[in-house]
This record gives sequence, C-alpha cells and structure tokens, in this order.
Amino acid sequence: MHARVSDIAIPDYLNEDWSLKSWLTTHDHKRIAWLYMVSITVFFFVGGAAATLIRLELATPQGDLVSADTYNRLFTAHGVIMVWMFLIPSIPSVLGNFLMPMMIGARDLAFPRLNLASWYIYVLGGLFTLGALAAGGIDTGWTFYTPFSTMFSNSNVILAITGVFILGFSSILTGLNFIVTVHKMRAPGMTWFRLPLFVWANYATSIILVLATPVLAMTLALLAAERLLHIGIFDPALGGDPLLFQHLFWFYSHPAVYIMVLPAMGVASEIIPCFARKRVFGYRFMAYAILGIASIGFLVWGHHMFVSGQSVYASMVFSLLSFLVAIPSAIKVFNWTATLYKGRITFSAPMLYALGFVGLFTIGGLTGLILASLALDVHLTDTYFVIAHFHYIMVGGSVMAYLGGIHFWWPKMTGRMYPEMWGRIAALMIFFGFNLTFFPQYLLGYEGMPRRYHAYPPEFQVLNILSSAGASILAIGYLLPLGYLLWSLFYGKRAEANPWHATGLEWQTSSPPPKHNFERTPTVLRDAYQYDPQTGTEAPQ
Amino acid sequence: MTNLESHAYRRIVLVWIALMALLLLTFGSAYLKLGAWNNAINLGIAAVKALLVAVFFMHLRSASTMLRIVAVIALLMLALLFGLSHTDYATRTMQRVPWQTPPKSQNAEGGG
Amino acid sequence: MSEAMHAAQFDSAAQQEEAATLGIWVFLATELMFFGPLFFGYYYGRSHFPDGFAAASRHTEVMLGTINTAVLLTSSMLMAIAGEARKANATRLATRMLLLVAALGIAFLVIKGIEYRHEWQERLFPGAGFFFPEHQHAAAARMFYFLYFGMTGLHALHLTIGIVMVLVFALGLSRGARRFANAERIEVAALYWHFVDAVWIFLYPILYLVGRSSG
Repeated sequence: MHARVSDIAIPDYLNEDWSLKSWLTTHDHKRIAWLYMVSITVFFFVGGAAATLIRLELATPQGDLVSADTYNRLFTAHGVIMVWMFLIPSIPSVLGNFLMPMMIGARDLAFPRLNLASWYIYVLGGLFTLGALAAGGIDTGWTFYTPFSTMFSNSNVILAITGVFILGFSSILTGLNFIVTVHKMRAPGMTWFRLPLFVWANYATSIILVLATPVLAMTLALLAAERLLHIGIFDPALGGDPLLFQHLFWFYSHPAVYIMVLPAMGVASEIIPCFARKRVFGYRFMAYAILGIASIGFLVWGHHMFVSGQSVYASMVFSLLSFLVAIPSAIKVFNWTATLYKGRITFSAPMLYALGFVGLFTIGGLTGLILASLALDVHLTDTYFVIAHFHYIMVGGSVMAYLGGIHFWWPKMTGRMYPEMWGRIAALMIFFGFNLTFFPQYLLGYEGMPRRYHAYPPEFQVLNILSSAGASILAIGYLLPLGYLLWSLFYGKRAEANPWHATGLEWQTSSPPPKHNFERTPTVLRDAYQYDPQTGTEAPQ
Repeated sequence: MTNLESHAYRRIVLVWIALMALLLLTFGSAYLKLGAWNNAINLGIAAVKALLVAVFFMHLRSASTMLRIVAVIALLMLALLFGLSHTDYATRTMQRVPWQTPPKSQNAEGGG
Repeated sequence: MSEAMHAAQFDSAAQQEEAATLGIWVFLATELMFFGPLFFGYYYGRSHFPDGFAAASRHTEVMLGTINTAVLLTSSMLMAIAGEARKANATRLATRMLLLVAALGIAFLVIKGIEYRHEWQERLFPGAGFFFPEHQHAAAARMFYFLYFGMTGLHALHLTIGIVMVLVFALGLSRGARRFANAERIEVAALYWHFVDAVWIFLYPILYLVGRSSG
C-alpha cells in the first residue's frame, strides 16, 4: 500500500517505514499484531488442511483414505495447531495487541520489547511443532494422555511437546504485558469501570494465561522426563498414577478454553452495542461475569476425567462446580440479548459474526451443561457429542468472534473498508456451513459414534456426509475473507477515523493510527458505550 | 550514611539473624522423634522464613494491595490444585464404579 | 540528579518503576506456578509412599544442604542491603554487596555440585542406572530422586540466571554505569533473587529433613 504521489502522505504506523527489517525489529504493538495475524493465519490453514483430510476420511464408513495411524496423527495435528497456534493467540495477540493500548489511551504496551520477544518465541514454538509434523507427526491426541504418550507411542512426542512448551512462554509473556499495561497505563479518567469490556475480557484472559500456562509447561516437561527416563510418576506399575498427569494437564487446559472464549466475548461486547446503537445492558455485571468465568474456570478441570478413574466423589464435586461456571456465561448471553432489545440494529458483517457468536456459544454452552452432568457424561464422553460441543464454542464462538473483530477493526488497522456485501456473504456462509458441519455431530455422539476413530459403523454415514458437506461450505467461507480482505488492502475504499461511529478511544485517532496512537494522552470523560438508541448518535469516551 | 539507611540495614541484619535461628531450629528439630509434628514444624518454619523474606526483603511490608495480591495468588492457585485433586486421591477407593481400574495388590495403592 | 528518564511508552519515571515492579511480581507468580507441578508430584509421592520418601531423603547430604540454605539466606540479606544501598546512592557499597551475593550464589552451586557428584556415584540419579539399597522402597526412591534432581536442578538453573544478572549489574555499577544499573533494575533483580531463595526455603525441609528422626 504505497502512498500515491498525489496523496498527501500523513505518516501513520504503516507507511512510516515499509522495510522488512522495520517490521521484524518493531516495538510497535500495532505492527506486532500484524506479525501475529500473518503467522496465525498460516497455521490456521495448516490446521484446516488436517481437518479437511479428517472430514474426507469420515465421508465413508470404512477407513479407506488413510490408515488408522495416520488418522491419529491428523486429528492430533489439527488439535495441537488449532488450540495452541491459532485459537489461544488469535484474539489476544492480534486484536488485543493492536487495540489494548489504544482503548485505554496509552502509547504502547508496558513492555514493547517483551511483546516482540513473545512473537519470536511464538514463531520458534510453531516451527518446532511444524517440525514434529514434518517428521511424521504425533498420534497421542492433543491431550498427550499417559501412559500412551510416555510408554507406547512411537511418534515424535518429545519434539511436539517441546514446541508446545515454547509456545506457552509466548502466551505467558503476552499475558504479563497486558496485566501490567491495564493496571499502570490507563489514561487519566479511564477508571476500571469505564474500560471497554474488550479490555476487561483480555485482562481476565491474561490472568489465566499467566497462572495456568506455566503448569502446562512443567507438566509437559514431566511427560518428557517420564518418556525418556521411565521415572514412574505416571506409571502404576512403578507406583505412579496416570491421573496425576491428567490433573495437571487439565488444571491448565480447562482454563485454556476460557483463554479461548473470554476474548471472543470481549469482541462481541464491542460490536453489539455499536450496531444496536445502544449501551451494553448491565455493564458491571458483564465485567463481574468475566471475572467470575475466569475464577470458576479454575475449579472445574475434573470434568474431563469423569471416566478416567477419578473418584466418584471428586467427580461429583467437579460436576457441581461445572454447573456454576455456566451462570456468569448465561448472564452475559442475557445481557447481550437485552442490549439488542429496542436497539437500532444494522446487520453489518461484524454484527452478523457477533450475533452468530451469541447464538452458537449459547448452544455450545447448553451442551456443556449436559456434559457436566456426571450421569450423562458417562455415556457421551469420547463421542462426537463432545466434539460438537467444543467446536460450537471454539469455532461457532471464538472463530466467529475473531472474524467479526477483524472486520470491525479492519478500517482502523488498515485505513481501508472491506467490501460489505462480500463480508456478509462470507459471514452467512460460515454460519450455515458451521451448523451443517457440527450439528449432525451432536446427533452422532448421542447415537454413540466414538471420537478419534477413522472408521465407523455404516448407519452413521448419512450424518457424517452432512457434516463433511458442511465442512466444504465452511472452508469456502473461510477462504472468502482471505481473498477480499487482501483485495481491500489495495483497492478498498479509504476509511475515515470512525466509520462505524463507535465510542471507544481507538476510534478517536486516525485510520490507520499514527505510530504513537495519540498525539497527546487523552483524558477520558465518559463511560463506555454511550450510544443513544433514539438518535443513533454516540458520545466518544 | 543517614539515620534512615542505618535503620534499614539494621532491620535487614535482624531479619537475617531470625532466619538463621529458624534454620537451626528446623535442622535440629528434624532429629527429634516427634512423629507427624516433624513435618508440621518443618513446613511451618519454612513458611515463616519465606514470609520474613517476602515481607522484609521483598518489601511487601510497604507494598500496595495489588502487589500483595499478586504475591499470594500463585500460592492460592497451587492450594486449589492440591486441594481439589486431594478430593480425588482421598476418596479413590470409596464407592468404586465399573469404569475405574481395579486396585493393585502391591503397596503402590496408597490411601491419600 | 537530573529529571529521571523513562521509556517512551510511559508518562513518568514513577509510572515506569511501578510497571517494572508489578511486572516482576507477576513474573514471579508465573515462576511459582511453573514449580507447582513438581511440588504436586512430591505431594503425591510423599502421601502415597511416606516411608519410601523418608528412606530416600535420608540419603541426601543434609549437612551440605543445611550449609547451602545458610548460604542462600545470607545472600538474600546481602542482596537486600545492596538494594537499599543503591537506592541511597551508596554505589560502592552496593557494588561490593552485589559481588558478594554473586560469590555466595556460586558457592551454593559448587556445594550443590559436590552433592550431585556424591549422588551420581551412589547411583541415585534416576534413569537406567538407578539403584537404591533398600529394595522395598526402590520405586518410591526413584520418584523421590527424580523430584530431587528436577527441583534442585531447576532451582540451580534459576540461581545461575540470577548470578549472571547480579554480576552484570555489579560490573556495570563498578564501572560507573549508574543509569544501566539503576535502583529500579537492582530492585527487580533483588526480587528475583529473593524468590529463588524462598523456593529453596521450601525445598530444603521437604528434600533433606524427611525421616531424619527415624530409620
């Protein structure tokens, strides 16, 4: 996007220097956001390729496309890549990095060089993991359960977990950066309860990142030690306990799912008020609910272990606690809905994504309650019901919110508008394709089809074909934004500072913003989301 | 050296003396036959030593509430990990269900 | 001293210092969570094999371990003095203290090395060559010694990083690099050092003092 001779080149963070070196050595949080965006997009499509092969295999009942062993490596690759290399960094490291300083009126994050280091560490971890894939992959599932991973698997376990170990440090440093930034760098007048909910969401996510991720890192190290030295901590024959691994693994991995969904909730809370022209209903409850989800989310990990041999009494405790975590989530869904009520709604592309998020997250959440019921989970665990549940939240929820956020803030990030018609088409296609892919999986799980099998009884074929058909539509839906967003970088209409007439501080600066975001540190005068539904006008913060 | 500084140095040395005394106490008491109290005493003394280091050397004495929360939060999280997992380990052998693996006959099977 | 400098993203030196302090405390919280699973493994092993862990612990070098604890506690004291001295601009005192801290840290590592050598020679290092004389406790002892080497090894790694940091600041300060080795940074290094000490305060009793009154 070179400035044309006829343009008056106003310096912004993009055009001030186009060299590769300036990108790779930048301390600017906005450029680091782009570095992340490019990398996670690449990894998303690698993970998507694995998913494509999975759905192709599952179109027929026989295991005829790939061997069982290869299939194991495919779903493991899909899980590892999508969880650690796409979902966890997606909203925080792309949108969070770009927006957090601007939303609070700061010039950058607290530790810009640490931010760049986070990205390099992320790339290093990603390369290790891809290296493990190139070397033949790993077949343990993304959960690396012992004793299979420690004693029996013949795949590249150590290489893969080294990659994940390294990726963990990238997350930890990002979380640390966000926490210090939100505490120490808010502009004058930006009190905690004037913060946009996107900031609250990323803040709570950062707390989870810094407290949970180190546990995963050490757990993977223990796994490696067990595999290499046969210590016996996870081996019952030597006095150990496989559930020790699972307690440690899920102590991180359950909060990890909240790392993946809380930022998405933050995005929804920015988009919905803007396109309903109405302030968020129950702002304080929304903030408290975010904190509630983050806290209670640390108490429920045992619900992944109901049939692993965990004591029934502990399972009952975890089941009850898992019901509790639904409460703050439900409060948020009610409040988004109440925000829409009597609003002046525009069905822009970001709004379509945000509404899709609310609906699909609700379905996913309700099925989460089903799985949290101990008596039901005994039958549904390790079936496609579980797969459908978490894909509704992570794909129907988080990925849609991510795309919604990318579209919403695209004008701010690039100074260009994306083509609205294509945006809406893609959003609807993704929504339709997603449901066609994953709703049949609830039925398959209910009927008893187990997960992680490359072949299945013929009576499940119809639903599987529907699911694979949906996946092909979903794939096209994901490719469309890749196409038109890239197109818009060169040919999109130039965006004004605040094309959506939104209220956040980030919209008070130019599109794209100057390098230091604000000429002077702004003073915040108002609460967030001061939209007037009567007139449709807004009062910026 | 100002008065303020010499006060600060003096306090530091006093804390060190306390730490050394506690070290001798924990080392010595370990050799006394006190049964389960050995463990309790040692952990208790360790906690006091760590508290002295945190409060006096790490300036938690004069720190904001926020810093104090950060200082303590990881301990709380670990307590959670240990505590909730303990509900599993303590009750593993009670009310067994069909999908649990049968208990081993050797001493590998503990009781929480 | 002229108006204190601060990085571009901050509005004042005070804001920068607060951010640095909060940052290092959050980092220490992550470090404690990182050690956590090792303590959890210990908790599992000790509660399932109390006699085995006691037997294993009796084979650790308690005298060297106790001396090392004293070494670290003393180094923390000197580090605290260094921090106060630097704040009061007593840079020569601060430099001397930092050098002593590093020296004690190195002493700790040397003593630890001696312990490791003895344990290696007694075949207590976990792996194919592991051997424990009391056969009925062999499995538990293997677990214990894995945790022992894991925890003390990780601790030693962190201590080494601390020593390097302290030496860098000591040398910088001795050469007059007052802005490089400023009070804020010394404070950050000191908090890290004290944390490493605090971890050892817990490692010492759980690794060295179990079962000393029996067996």
